Amino acid sequence: MTPFLEVKEMRKSYGAINAVDGVTLSVGPGEIVGVIGPNGSGKTTLFNSILGQIKPTGGAVEFCGEDITGMSPLELSRRGVGRTFQTLQVFVKLSVRDNLIASAQEFKGTMPGRLFAKPDAGCGHHADQMIDMFRLQHVAHLPAGNLSYGQQKLIDIAMAFMPAPRLVLLDEPCAGVNPSLVDQLRELLLLLNKSQGGSFVVIEHNMDFIMKLCPHVICMVEGKVLAEGPPSEVQANRQVLEAYLGN
Amino acid sequence: MVDLVQLIISGTATGAIYALCALGFTLLWQASGTINFAQGEFVMVPAFLMLFFINTAGLPMWVAFLLTCLVAMVLLGYTFKRAMVDPLIRHGVIPLVIATLGLSIGVKQLVKAGVTAQAQPFNSIFPDGLLSLGALKVSYMDVGTLVLAGLIVISLQTFLNRTVTGRAMQAVAQNTDSARVLGINVARMVLYTFLINAVLSVVAALLVTPTYLAKFDMGESIGLKAFYAAIIGGFNQTRGALLGGVLVGVLENLTGAYISPAYKEGVALMLFLVVIIFKPEGLLGKTEERKV
Repeated sequence: MTPFLEVKEMRKSYGAINAVDGVTLSVGPGEIVGVIGPNGSGKTTLFNSILGQIKPTGGAVEFCGEDITGMSPLELSRRGVGRTFQTLQVFVKLSVRDNLIASAQEFKGTMPGRLFAKPDAGCGHHADQMIDMFRLQHVAHLPAGNLSYGQQKLIDIAMAFMPAPRLVLLDEPCAGVNPSLVDQLRELLLLLNKSQGGSFVVIEHNMDFIMKLCPHVICMVEGKVLAEGPPSEVQANRQVLEAYLGN
Repeated sequence: MVDLVQLIISGTATGAIYALCALGFTLLWQASGTINFAQGEFVMVPAFLMLFFINTAGLPMWVAFLLTCLVAMVLLGYTFKRAMVDPLIRHGVIPLVIATLGLSIGVKQLVKAGVTAQAQPFNSIFPDGLLSLGALKVSYMDVGTLVLAGLIVISLQTFLNRTVTGRAMQAVAQNTDSARVLGINVARMVLYTFLINAVLSVVAALLVTPTYLAKFDMGESIGLKAFYAAIIGGFNQTRGALLGGVLVGVLENLTGAYISPAYKEGVALMLFLVVIIFKPEGLLGKTEERKV
């Protein structure tokens, strides 16, 4: 399979500490790749380096054959790369619907056109579809900041998918989510993967979630890739068991 | 009773001008974390620019106003952001606070030495005289100020809440990281905020200068009161700036009339201190968590 996203020898150091130490990975079109590893293993730093939110010390990132190393999040967003964060990143004073529209509106029309565009920026119908898909109809017009953590997490994820990105990096989508929502979240991600056709890279500590969602899993420890392969193989890997999963 | 109502109306008109400046404070803070202590001078400079266009260039008031808006957007919006805010904001708020304090002193002295140290008269755009509503008598200037300031505030709120660009500006103010990842051009939205602040300053200058007269130090008082108003209402709320401005204007008027004009100037400071002690997030402000 031709790589869609290719990370080559990515490195990020803070003084003598190598937060990411020569990580190489590739993601194919429509593929879902899971990234696991203990806290401090460099997973989020890897995401931040790929997405231009921090400047990598070394290595390169290619997306659809284009070198995107060090590009700003804005430039990457224009190329169809989105992400979610570990912590909630919704716009707390905007309504749920406006949050969704805000996350897609910049992909419609030109800058002067947007000054006079209709308030829904042509994204209203799509926002309503996402609201239905994420079962947020009853809170669609409430300020996002008034909702529960779990609901805000769903909004956060829905926002990342609003512009129909070609690649989404999801950083701990299950963190803080009620266990009853986890299965729903996995189903939603699979549905979005099928309907939008994008590739996902998912960081997660919920092993059940990641093993059922991702056909390919990478385990990072101390900034390096310790093991990778199908979930069952990674789960059975002795080094992974010792360093992360335990017995 | 009639006196009280009249005082409240004229105080609200004065407060509306403070509110316009305070609105600038809160917009800059929300969009870019900038506290501009030269905000008062951002009102003084347009006053002199309008005088130049009217007296020296012989242009009518409305043309002078529009030209001043353009010059202010370039000078007090774009140039201020690029030359002072952009290089300093990455080092935190304090260097920028110090720099804007320096800018305030520098601009004042520049106008004093380079233009004039004398107060210059400035005609109001509203007619003289009083509007009689039964026993109530209100000056046309107060009514006009209230209407114009009200229209500006309503237009701004409509722009922020009902347009695509306004929503993007709100998104940037609420969560810059998320906005950036979602493809919103953060730098451009922040620039829009600075341009809006420049225009608000020109409107404030148009309304306040007939009373204060155009003088190099006219911005000291209005800048300080607008800052107090923004804190009183809530620095992270545009509605707070409006409430704070009106509250300061009305209380100043009532204190001047019923207690002593000598205490009038201290009212905003007293209110500011009470709010800072008992409700530091401001009357309409909300407690915010910040990354440290």
